[in-house]
Amino acid sequence: MKVYVPGDSAARSVGADLVAKAFDAEGATVVRNGSRGMLWLEPFVETETERGRVGYGPVTPEAVAEILDQGEDHELCQGLVEELPWLRAQTRLCFARVGVTDPLSTTDYVAHGGLAGLRAALSKDPAEVVAEVTESGLRGRGGAGFPAGIKWKTVADTPGELKFVCCNADEGDSGTFADRMLMEGDPFTLIEGMTIAAHAVGATEGYIYIRSEYPDATRVLREAIRLARNENWLGTDILGSGLDFDLFVRVGAGAYICGEETSMLESLEGKRGMVRSKPPIPAITGLFGKPTVVNNVLTLASIPAILADGAEAYKNLGVERSRGTQVFQLAGNVARGGIFESAFGITLGELVNGFGGGTRTGRPVRAVQVGGPLGAYIPVSQMDLPMDYEAFAAAGAMLGHGGIVVFDDTVDMAAMARFAMEFCAEESCGKCTPCRVGSVRGVEVIDRIVAGQDPEGNLALLNDLCELMTDGSLCAMGGLTPNPVRSALLHFPEDFS
Amino acid sequence: MSLLKEPDLGTPAKAGPATVSLEVDGLPVTVPEGTSILRAAALSGVDIPKLCATDSLEPFGSCRLCLVEIDGRRGTPASCTTPVTEGMQVHTQTPRLEKLRQGVMELYISDHPLDCLTCSANGDCELQDMSGAVGLRQVRYGYEGENHLQQEKDTSNPYFDFDPSKCIACSRCVRACDEVQGTFALTIEGRGFESKVAAGAGELFMDSECVSCGACVQACPTATLEEKSVVDLGMPSRSVLTTCAYCGVGCSFKAELRGDELVRMVPYKDGGANEGHSCVKGRFAFGYATHPDRRLNPMIRETIDDEWREVDWDTAIGYVAEKMREVQARHGIGAIGGITSSRCTNEEVYVVQKMVRAAFGNNNVDTCARVCHSPTGYGLKQTFGTSAGTQDFRSVAKSDVIVVIGANPTDGHPVFASRMKRRLREGAKLIVIDPRRIDLVRTPHIEAAHHLQLAPGTNVAVVNAFAHVAVTEGLVDRSFVDERCEEFEEWASFIALPENSPEATEEITGVPAAELRAAARLYATGGNSAIYYGLGVTEHSQGSTMVMGMANLAMATGNIGREGVGVNPLRGQNNVQGSCDMGSFPHELSGYRHISDDAVRTVFEDLWGRELLAEPGLRIPNMFDAAIDGSFRALFVQGEDIAQSDPNTRHVTAALRAMDLVVVQDLFLNETAKFAHVFLPGTSFLEKDGTFTNAERRINRVRPVMAPKTGKHEWEIVCEIAQAMGYPMRYTHPREIMAEIAALTPTFAGVSFEKLDRLGSVQWPCNDKAPEGTPIMHVDGFVRGKGRFVPTPFVPTRERSTRRFPLILTTGRILTQYNVGAQTRRTANVAWHHEDVLEIHPHDAEVRGIGDGDEVTLSSRVGETSLHARLSDRMPVGVVYTTFHFPVTGANVVTTENSDWATNCPEYKVTAVQVGLKTSGTAVEHAERAIPALAD
Amino acid sequence: MSTESPQIRLANEIAAQFHHRPPDEAAAAIAAHIRQFWDPRMRADLEHQLATAPGAFDPLALAAARLLTAASNSAS
Repeated sequence: MKVYVPGDSAARSVGADLVAKAFDAEGATVVRNGSRGMLWLEPFVETETERGRVGYGPVTPEAVAEILDQGEDHELCQGLVEELPWLRAQTRLCFARVGVTDPLSTTDYVAHGGLAGLRAALSKDPAEVVAEVTESGLRGRGGAGFPAGIKWKTVADTPGELKFVCCNADEGDSGTFADRMLMEGDPFTLIEGMTIAAHAVGATEGYIYIRSEYPDATRVLREAIRLARNENWLGTDILGSGLDFDLFVRVGAGAYICGEETSMLESLEGKRGMVRSKPPIPAITGLFGKPTVVNNVLTLASIPAILADGAEAYKNLGVERSRGTQVFQLAGNVARGGIFESAFGITLGELVNGFGGGTRTGRPVRAVQVGGPLGAYIPVSQMDLPMDYEAFAAAGAMLGHGGIVVFDDTVDMAAMARFAMEFCAEESCGKCTPCRVGSVRGVEVIDRIVAGQDPEGNLALLNDLCELMTDGSLCAMGGLTPNPVRSALLHFPEDFS
Repeated sequence: MSLLKEPDLGTPAKAGPATVSLEVDGLPVTVPEGTSILRAAALSGVDIPKLCATDSLEPFGSCRLCLVEIDGRRGTPASCTTPVTEGMQVHTQTPRLEKLRQGVMELYISDHPLDCLTCSANGDCELQDMSGAVGLRQVRYGYEGENHLQQEKDTSNPYFDFDPSKCIACSRCVRACDEVQGTFALTIEGRGFESKVAAGAGELFMDSECVSCGACVQACPTATLEEKSVVDLGMPSRSVLTTCAYCGVGCSFKAELRGDELVRMVPYKDGGANEGHSCVKGRFAFGYATHPDRRLNPMIRETIDDEWREVDWDTAIGYVAEKMREVQARHGIGAIGGITSSRCTNEEVYVVQKMVRAAFGNNNVDTCARVCHSPTGYGLKQTFGTSAGTQDFRSVAKSDVIVVIGANPTDGHPVFASRMKRRLREGAKLIVIDPRRIDLVRTPHIEAAHHLQLAPGTNVAVVNAFAHVAVTEGLVDRSFVDERCEEFEEWASFIALPENSPEATEEITGVPAAELRAAARLYATGGNSAIYYGLGVTEHSQGSTMVMGMANLAMATGNIGREGVGVNPLRGQNNVQGSCDMGSFPHELSGYRHISDDAVRTVFEDLWGRELLAEPGLRIPNMFDAAIDGSFRALFVQGEDIAQSDPNTRHVTAALRAMDLVVVQDLFLNETAKFAHVFLPGTSFLEKDGTFTNAERRINRVRPVMAPKTGKHEWEIVCEIAQAMGYPMRYTHPREIMAEIAALTPTFAGVSFEKLDRLGSVQWPCNDKAPEGTPIMHVDGFVRGKGRFVPTPFVPTRERSTRRFPLILTTGRILTQYNVGAQTRRTANVAWHHEDVLEIHPHDAEVRGIGDGDEVTLSSRVGETSLHARLSDRMPVGVVYTTFHFPVTGANVVTTENSDWATNCPEYKVTAVQVGLKTSGTAVEHAERAIPALAD
Repeated sequence: MSTESPQIRLANEIAAQFHHRPPDEAAAAIAAHIRQFWDPRMRADLEHQLATAPGAFDPLALAAARLLTAASNSAS
């Protein structure tokens, strides 16, 4: 019998390896697939049946024999995977193959639609590829939401014999794990997306910058790159098209700031991860001073689908200026945490209370932080916000990388505001003054407010500091740190007195 | 002059024809494309507050004080990192900006000691200035928060302190070390609030890679990095612009004084040679000028065994004149002579050669350049028509291929080396031709494309092989050669001979043929190729041949006559170029015109009112030979320590002992003074008034910072001796001497002190054709008309390694010491290098049982000395290396009488030696060893 | 140390550089070089050495010294 036991590190962290071993011991043929993203069910095991794949979870090694014995009658059986409402409700483009295939099987990859995007791209002129991406409305998934096509066009239009495509896989935001799951669960999609980018802009070398906390993703990607070279999906004259492109993995050293694109470039160059001032922008003066595409994992992983199915199909998804799908990540105090890929426009409430099932503790939701540690806290009164870049911005919040962290009514929002400053102090690269010194002072001022020392004066000072950090910081790290602080002050003033 | 504060426009200038017009606070300004808003504002007269920006460094954007608002743009971008665009409307003072700037300053001051009144930088602190500029009135955060005030001070460097408690983490020091100096010794350690400047891997400055160039101190906006002298003496109150007296780079400095006391030397941004950069010697090592070893009174003695007796100036001058006349009366007009010094000003040198020619009545004048760059004079004159480097220093920024031959710029010419390194980091290719693996071969962000580690003494074979590749592989620039040169065919057929091929020369030079071919192709085809060379070229028995060989190569490949190319001597001393220009050679009058040229001589005779001999006089080594021979008996030595610096010490001292009168004019009682009868105290560069000419022919003013401590200028002393000998030589000011030089010398015709004061400096030729000087030579034609190819057969030196002397000794310099060390040994620079050591390859050491640090004897066929060994694989097996900065080393005890065939420049760079472990060693024996052993 | 006259050593060193030229040309070039750069007393010594120790000369140096001697004789 063929059994799928995720090799994803989230699944492994709750015992998937022992489960896989147990199945193996029972004589089953075990495939280590990616995770379907229903993390509350991990280890989520699937068995192949005539009707399709049947899911079980969360599975313990002790339950393995019973599952093999009892089949769909087992209490952990979740039914046909395809039919699970949580999955059915999603529109999986990026994550189409994650959880379905063996991540390192090139035949699986092709059998499930892999390479269609690359083949389509290679049949077009680079300029047509850029136009297709622009037309799709795809925006950078790293947080800033900058139109990918425009960035690519800048790189394509900048003369240079040597250009780079860099993938930012330094996924450091709290409550985010989509990059990791994609890299572990379907690495070829990322490779394909980067190769298409290389063709589009005229790059010959690519780098994937992975945070050091992701050893599994690093291992999987390195192996996938090796396999892709064997298949001539990378290297010289890729698929007979004349395109030369090779790809390398670089591992960070544990700095959050290296998720900021210019710091990442510094780090890739072997230097201390410090923010560069812009201009010049990386598209013109990037890695080693050469024109460089820097995109997030999810941005690049969205590319193959866009090229395979056409810009039109992608553009038809989503709302307003937020087109296509986003891979939302539900985390924190949530009953059903995991990956939920959906077209833009779904509301925050649908995700948190609907698919997420409210808090894990069962207490009422009090606040949700969207977009990582620098994202605003959103009160329950705004749960009807649609997941849309502009709608969030209008509400003083941001979508960021799509991470959603849920808090129940026991949360101390003054402590959360303090944490925002503390996080900034801990992770600041130290280059600009508002971030380097301001974050430290921010912690101190909040402490004084909470301790009741001259609350009025210190609140005014905190507001001035937030203004300074927003307007004066060199990069988004210092510039966005006031978001959680200000939103906490605005929506939960009672916690500060 | 009061304290000169140079304007800081915030970011470096941009060049280029395209301009952009904008308005800053309503003021229109037009600037080159790519200029920052910050600089454009400064140029329009609007000072935007700034701390991390300074115009010697690329913008960084960290302090966030220079934020501005721009019509039609969101936010408050930093003006230092935002380039101007056409029609931009910039606002630098708005309520929003004021609040942000005060907010930034509030943060800075919340982590800064409040000791302005007692701070050593009080009055010279940009943080202080900016607090005022933004109107900071309160620090609401208080001073009780987390801070760096307890950070420990690093006082390890002898010249400056590092006080991290005052650091604002602007990274100007780190960037200066990277961008300006190119050493990359500093970094920011830690992140966020823990970010702090660190030398190396968090070591003390003295233990780190820091070369103490002072760029970080210069860049620091606060008291964090500050000269110890400022801490000790207080803030200077006035500045005098002058020129460094160390190497041939000729850096411009602001000597900053408090009253009459020199507090510090600060590199001058407008200095043509250094553009605001400096090295450890010029920046810090000036303490020798007031060292107690200095003699300030004239002294005489009858014999060199007598005690010195202090006398007044008249007595000393009268004594010299009388004795000189006496010797001439007894032994003939030609029995006396003089040596000029490359350490002295053009004016001081000029009067010495004039004294020799007009008052002594002979041509027995030579200069210490004899022992360093005389082959440059001969070689470049033969091929190009004049004795000078072809480029200005700035030219290196346009080079695509840089060839460094027999020079060690990071030690010998550090400020120029920094310029070169900057270009190399930008991607220019480097070829190093040197027996020793000098630092430049592999240094941060730089790696030589080729290091041709040739055997000492085989330069000519290598340069011939380069030319052979160019000629036989069709890489000659035919149009340049046909149009601009002559005698090419004869040379080309010589150079194409198989004996000059890389394959044939490999056996002699040790340079693999394939690598040499690759390097030669790179030189010939890599774009703008420039050659920079030093004493590793000239101080050989074929030094002049090698200079001509390089000139041939540059002409054949068309690498002459524009920016980025050329053949460039890196001159050793501050005024080597000038002392040669001034007519210090026995066969030449000023401007390199032969003494036998009647027309030229007549001009001098008319002005000087004396008939001049038409025959060349004695060169320095000839003087020694003639002294031993008895026909040369009195010598005036201006500021050169021939007993230490000239080769074959035994021969030199024998010559000095044989003379009736040796007059030494110097700061210190040097080695030569041991053999002198008259000591005339000289002046340091801080007392001199005149000009120095650097390696790029740049004539720079030397301005007195203080009156002569000796009571007399050196030029006055010389004039008075001439007068006492019956020849009237009167000037009231050095500017009159320069006026005379200009009147007599066509290449100096347009030079005057007034012009130098107006323009800062000029590069000769400076005359009606080039009233503001000539940065690049031979642009449209060579000085001699057509460039001349001269065949350069390789004739090996007579100095060979033998069974008895199996190793080859070669010599060089180190960064912190200077030549014979007379100055630098009398400064805190000894903290870095307090003795000369013998670098020996581990293999050569092992077979001799020598360990690192062991005391060894070094002997050649002419002498023996001893020093400590340092095991090093910088040299190939069979070659040993030492510096010559300390008299006790006696490196010249072992060097031989071999010299360049054309100029008699000594062959310092090749001496066959033996090295052995020194087994016994009392102080007496040690001293005895310094006395030369009998030769074989 | 050699007791050879320094002038012979110097002349021989110059001569060594000219062996690639035809002997007549070489001798003329060597003589010209000496005339251009040497103090008269050194040239006088060379002429003296030519008379007393011709065997110590490099053949080209010898030829050059002869040229110099001839010139000085005709000049005087």
